[in-house]
Amino acid sequence: MRHFLVMCLFAAMASVVFGAMAKDTPRERWLYGLKVFAQFIVIGLALAWLLYFIPW
Amino acid sequence: MVKSERLQVERVEPTPGAAWLVGIAAWFLPGSGHLMVKKWGRAALMGGVVWFCFFIGLAMGGHMFDLSTGQGSSALLQVPPMIADLGSGVLYIVCWLIGYGFADDPAQAARATYEYGTTFLLIAGLLNYLTMLDAFDMAAGRHS
Repeated sequence: MRHFLVMCLFAAMASVVFGAMAKDTPRERWLYGLKVFAQFIVIGLALAWLLYFIPW
Repeated sequence: MVKSERLQVERVEPTPGAAWLVGIAAWFLPGSGHLMVKKWGRAALMGGVVWFCFFIGLAMGGHMFDLSTGQGSSALLQVPPMIADLGSGVLYIVCWLIGYGFADDPAQAARATYEYGTTFLLIAGLLNYLTMLDAFDMAAGRHS
């Protein structure tokens, strides 16, 4: 659980900066920030499951 | 298009000197670049994220990189993460001067949050490079 929370914290921090830098209107920035946050989480979980099956 | 028109279109506005100063300040003290261009909210938000990531990285027992650890060609492997860490500006420099956060002892590496901390320290520097570019662009009048 801690791993997931740290990943969420990392995603939140990165998406705040990405969202603040991109786009023009506050609404667009919010939407972009949320989109980046969701992408970090979804891709992170997908990679975690992918690596789970690789026997290293 | 005649030649004179094409020359007029291709002329690029020179970057004002103050923008370079803002860029350097933004790198050196995270958030200060946006303060200099009077973007208080962005300074708090983007600078705050950098400071937060840096201190949470240290609190997790993360490790910063410099050239002193690797030997031979492995010293070169320290350069990319060192550049990322160096993005934190004065935060990295102060830690380097007092020797805090650079220890690579097994007890520290055994902490469950060691890798997370190292990642947060790297991310703090990289996000500050983005913050610096944003402040520079604002000071140069390229975006608001």
